[in-house]
Amino acid sequence: MYEEPYRWVEAVGNRRQYLDEQFKQGSPVVALTYDGGILLTTVSKGTPKLYEIYDRLALGGMGHPTDLEKLRFSLLEMAHVEGFNRSPSDVTGSRLIKYGIAPVIKQAFEEVYKAPFIVRILVAELGQKPEKDALLTINYDGTFEEVTGHAVLAATTAIQGKMLTYLKEQQQATLSLEQALNLALRVWAIGSMAQQQDEADQQAEAKPAASGSGSSSAATPSSNALIEHVRGLASERTIECALLERQAPGTSKYRPLKQSDLSRLLPAALQSVVAN
Amino acid sequence: MGMQGDFYQLLKEQGYTLGSSGQAGTGHVLTNATTILAFKYRDGVLVAGDRRATAGNMVMYDRTDKVLEIDRHSVMAIAGVPATAYEMVRVLEHSFKYYRRTQLQELSFDGKLRAVSKLLKENVPAALAGTGAVVPVFAGYDLEQGSAKIYFYDILGAEFEGVEYAVSGSGSPTIRGILHYLNTWGEQPLNALPEEQAMVQALRLLTSAAEFDSATGGVNREASLYPVIKLISGAGVQTVPDATLKPLYESQVVRYV
Repeated sequence: MYEEPYRWVEAVGNRRQYLDEQFKQGSPVVALTYDGGILLTTVSKGTPKLYEIYDRLALGGMGHPTDLEKLRFSLLEMAHVEGFNRSPSDVTGSRLIKYGIAPVIKQAFEEVYKAPFIVRILVAELGQKPEKDALLTINYDGTFEEVTGHAVLAATTAIQGKMLTYLKEQQQATLSLEQALNLALRVWAIGSMAQQQDEADQQAEAKPAASGSGSSSAATPSSNALIEHVRGLASERTIECALLERQAPGTSKYRPLKQSDLSRLLPAALQSVVAN
Repeated sequence: MGMQGDFYQLLKEQGYTLGSSGQAGTGHVLTNATTILAFKYRDGVLVAGDRRATAGNMVMYDRTDKVLEIDRHSVMAIAGVPATAYEMVRVLEHSFKYYRRTQLQELSFDGKLRAVSKLLKENVPAALAGTGAVVPVFAGYDLEQGSAKIYFYDILGAEFEGVEYAVSGSGSPTIRGILHYLNTWGEQPLNALPEEQAMVQALRLLTSAAEFDSATGGVNREASLYPVIKLISGAGVQTVPDATLKPLYESQVVRYV
């Protein structure tokens, strides 16, 4: 029945709706450049969401863990085979995304008889020079985007927009790692709060007696409130941070931050959460 | 689907073969014109190699690096056909990285050793044909056990543990005896030597090898060419800079008569 063009468009539309539902509970991902490289941050539940892909490539993801694993493996495979057959400097994020996984994701999305990938992916690439640092994001339908400076993943594009607006307001010319971590967590909190708000709004809509639906708060919460939000969730989740460090010794520049690093670098209000 | 996290398997599935298979029994075995050595010292293991590459009686190159870092905690020193040896190092380097990144844990030290002997076994036809023999020394720091380890191989891939030291290459017979003597009757056993003393011994050993083996480069002070020396401890691999070797060589290796 999907042979008819109209039905197919309808099916793809339904699929979009179904997929959007899947990300509601997900944890946003924030990537920022700082003076020493690139920082990736999320606050994950259960499965880790930040991974090393190649010497200068890191991955952050949202969505179904198994789908994420599948794509992570194909990225790893492509990157290592290319790095071996040509050279490590020929392994670039944009080639892996554009010619590697984007076509696969798009095809899975549009083949309405088959299951799509429930993922949003962010790939951070540390350039040889700071101005070559790149951040790539790819959506479940195969749409990709390449940006510099900062990038986020969140449940909806509206929420991603909110996070980016906040980032632009707060962004300074150069950030130390500590400042970047603080900012990244606040941006994460903006995303997480907006996701909670969306869900609350939806539940309110479901009840007919609820008051006006335009209740999404206009004012930006204060820094303290944002950190407090992270603190509230951090007891049952893990603050996950990974770096691509330009000055790291050897060829692999990826380094996940350990608890001992975090308890030193995190904002004071959060240090106690990591310590235990 | 094969074994998960096995990069070499992945390469083979894509049609890769290591080196040329060669025609068995056609050739004379090429000599392994070089000297490499490894011994345990106080803080870990020292691996050193001269820098000369030869073809017959020709010196091809005087700045070869035969002590190659495979990852943060392991090093392979190579004697034998360089083309094959460098390719092996490339395969190993990518294999260990691939394993770590896919499996989210380091490959165990035993796993690394297994990978080395697997490659050498694959290379047996080329080794026997005389076109690709490689006789490496693999040394590293086993983080799980907190100890330094040295292994050496024959061209067929058999693996032997060098409890205190291991040598390979054409200059090795000369220094093997010296190492035994030093370790048994020296002022202190090799594994008690502090870092600086270990470096001095390595320089002296390579100079001795160069004295009796024309294929070993030794030290060329005029061109400031010093051997490659790497130290591996719990903190990782560290390459000793020439600036450190120069004063040690001048004060403790050269004898002015």
